[in-house]
Amino acid sequence: MTIASAIAGIGATEFSKRSGRSELQLAAEAVFRALDDAGLPPSEVDGLVTYSQDANQEIAVARETGIGELSFFSRIPYGGGAACATVQQAAMAIATRQASTVVCYRAFNERSGRRFGQPDATIGGEPSSQGLEMSWHVPYGLMTPAAWVAMFARRYMHTYGAGSEDFGRVAVAMRKHAATNPAAWFYKRPITLEEHQASRWIVEPLHLLDCCQESDGAVALVITSLDRARDLRHSPALIAAATQGAGAGQMMMTSYYRDDMTGLPEMSVVGRKLWEMSGMSPSDIQTAILYDHFTPFVLPQLEELGFCPRGEAKDFIADGGIELDGPLPVNPHGGQLGEAYIHGMNGIAEAVRQIRGTAVNQIKNARNVLVTAGTGVPTSALILTTP
Amino acid sequence: MRTLSQGQIAVGTDLPELSIDLTPTMVISTALATMDFTPVHHDVAAARAQGSQDIFVNILTTMGLVERYVTDWTGPEVMITAINVKLGVPAYAGDRLVFTGTVTAESGGEYTVEVRGRVSLGDHAVGTVRFRPPGESA
Amino acid sequence: MTTVLTTPESVRELLAALAERQMAAGETPGAPAPDPVNLPMIRHWTAAMGDRNPVYTDEEFAARSVHGGIVAPPAMAQVWTMPGLGGERSPTPVDDVLAALDEHGFTGVVATNCEQTYHRYLRPGDRLVPATRMTGFAGPKRTALGEGYFVTWEVTWYASGEAVNSMVFRVLKFRPRERKSQPGIRKSYPLRPAVNRDTEFFWEGVRKGELRIQRCARCGELRHPPGPMCPRCRSADRTHVTASGVGTVYSYVVHHHPPVPGRETPFVVAVVELPEGVRIVGNVVDCRYEEVGIGMPVRVAYRRMDEDLILPMWVPRES
Repeated sequence: MTIASAIAGIGATEFSKRSGRSELQLAAEAVFRALDDAGLPPSEVDGLVTYSQDANQEIAVARETGIGELSFFSRIPYGGGAACATVQQAAMAIATRQASTVVCYRAFNERSGRRFGQPDATIGGEPSSQGLEMSWHVPYGLMTPAAWVAMFARRYMHTYGAGSEDFGRVAVAMRKHAATNPAAWFYKRPITLEEHQASRWIVEPLHLLDCCQESDGAVALVITSLDRARDLRHSPALIAAATQGAGAGQMMMTSYYRDDMTGLPEMSVVGRKLWEMSGMSPSDIQTAILYDHFTPFVLPQLEELGFCPRGEAKDFIADGGIELDGPLPVNPHGGQLGEAYIHGMNGIAEAVRQIRGTAVNQIKNARNVLVTAGTGVPTSALILTTP
Repeated sequence: MRTLSQGQIAVGTDLPELSIDLTPTMVISTALATMDFTPVHHDVAAARAQGSQDIFVNILTTMGLVERYVTDWTGPEVMITAINVKLGVPAYAGDRLVFTGTVTAESGGEYTVEVRGRVSLGDHAVGTVRFRPPGESA
Repeated sequence: MTTVLTTPESVRELLAALAERQMAAGETPGAPAPDPVNLPMIRHWTAAMGDRNPVYTDEEFAARSVHGGIVAPPAMAQVWTMPGLGGERSPTPVDDVLAALDEHGFTGVVATNCEQTYHRYLRPGDRLVPATRMTGFAGPKRTALGEGYFVTWEVTWYASGEAVNSMVFRVLKFRPRERKSQPGIRKSYPLRPAVNRDTEFFWEGVRKGELRIQRCARCGELRHPPGPMCPRCRSADRTHVTASGVGTVYSYVVHHHPPVPGRETPFVVAVVELPEGVRIVGNVVDCRYEEVGIGMPVRVAYRRMDEDLILPMWVPRES
């Protein structure tokens, strides 16, 4: 028998443009808050999981927070694709008794420190497999996440007759949700579709308002066995399914060489696995946290996960499908476009709040919440449920 | 069309200047007319790829133009006996090739013209053309 | 040759010995001219050169001239035996010497002298046969281009066994100088590809003006971007084909922001689909970015980014 696990605690710093603190301090603060939320002392933690990209070593976080000994630590590659996989790794560690209580964290000064959206001339410079992969693109100046996504977006528009407004409606919905979320950077600052269309080009066909914000901040999650979680402060968010996925012919953000450029095959991989593991289908999901670093990729996610047929996401969205009163409210917290860009970890925290029934934009009867991670890269996803 | 006779040619005579605009058409049509299909003479991308700034005149054309420069001046019926050319800088499309020349020697009825073909980068071809005017037995 | 010789002196001796042998080999006949001397080719040549001398093309004038009929321009001597488009060049004794120089690093080549002697004017119907002998080998010499050897050969053209024209041709084969960075002269382009043994063939092709696509030597699968193993048949035997150089835009972006090092914005990057069945990413240049669209026909163009780097890019073509 595997040991079922659950998210028992969530914690975060404030989301800002300039934290004024080191990334390690942000990590430690988020870990403390998550442990306090769960009602567990640091000494109970014996596992830590983060992203390969996180600058804070597990041992450093353990030192700062007084966690002490660790029997499990693990890092997940592929940028924001790691988000849900941190929870997956924690659940596996618990299921196999590698650890009993694992904290997942992500902390960075992505706005005031190193900004992912800025070109880095060195990314194609090393003859590692990734450096070589980048070398087919970076020399041509194709080297920012917005540009990598824009290439897919253009083809998607061409194939399905989508327009910039179809992407814009995603941004408008996320900003609408964030407007009523006091934790969101864009709290009380909704936008209109006209403002989206008028915003400057970043990389055509992407406007500024198709790109998520840049944020400083940290989020941490506490995962433990379901049995133990039941005895803690909040009702547990059971991990009904958690999985990673890479598609055939996968590359980092530049999978332009696969037959089709309009889908996200890696999201199909995790989607199939989620439904198989959880025994659920799309109609069982009351709200979804879809990775929204750029608006265009929200559309194929809806399609790959089976929430609407291929090519019809634009109609689903135009009909209000992803809004709070729609058939599948997406990102009630405002997502990364509206709340903050914490590499997808803030979305998992929102899913936990929805399961607990404590979200600011609470979806009624949210029993099952699906969360995805970074798009365009090898990714991960999970379903949280009420036990 | 008249041809200069022996009495009309004097050592020391300067030939009139000939200026040729090296249009891409000029460079390409001469390369192909000389049966030279090397890409650097007709394909800008290929020429640039091997480090040249543009397509450039091929050697067979240089020889042809040097010959033309002299016979344009002498008239049609001289007998060209030899052309010796020292090759210099490339003559790129878009440049201009300007020929100057001087009759420098006569020996046994055979004249030598020193020819210089310049482009913006310097001397493209420097050499001699030897010819016999009509009426002179070889 | 499998001799392992590395000192400059031994290289010099090796090359000199080879040159000596090739010069001793004497004259080697080449393939006869594909066509006899003929008026149409003369007409093309004179038109291209802008040579209006009537003895070459005006039958009446030529008949009354010293020649008594049409003659070919003497400077066309070499034209008659050019291999032409797709033709095979006949082997000559010089080939081995030039190849050996390449092998020892004297890869640069520049023609230095062309001396033609015309024993008689050629007339339509003359059918030329060339013969080549190597006549000179000198070096190593220090030149403005670098250290090198001068190689000289002589071609004699025969018509019905009569030597009608001859040409002495000399080239300098030189060792290209190590490129020293000259800051301020030409800035190094900052966006450099990483290259390893799996991808070197591609960039080598680019330097030669070839767009190379990896091809599995066993099953023939074409693949871009390339990699060490054939994902279809597991073979590590690789070769490549040279793409036709045309393609169509499959998708594209116009980069406006943020600024990219080494680039002026806006610029276009496209995924280009090749008729060979693979896709490749590159910039679309030589047109306004508003003119770029999916399905646009493009062809490859090579752009030098700095002293060391050439990138394949794409320019509009007629469909």
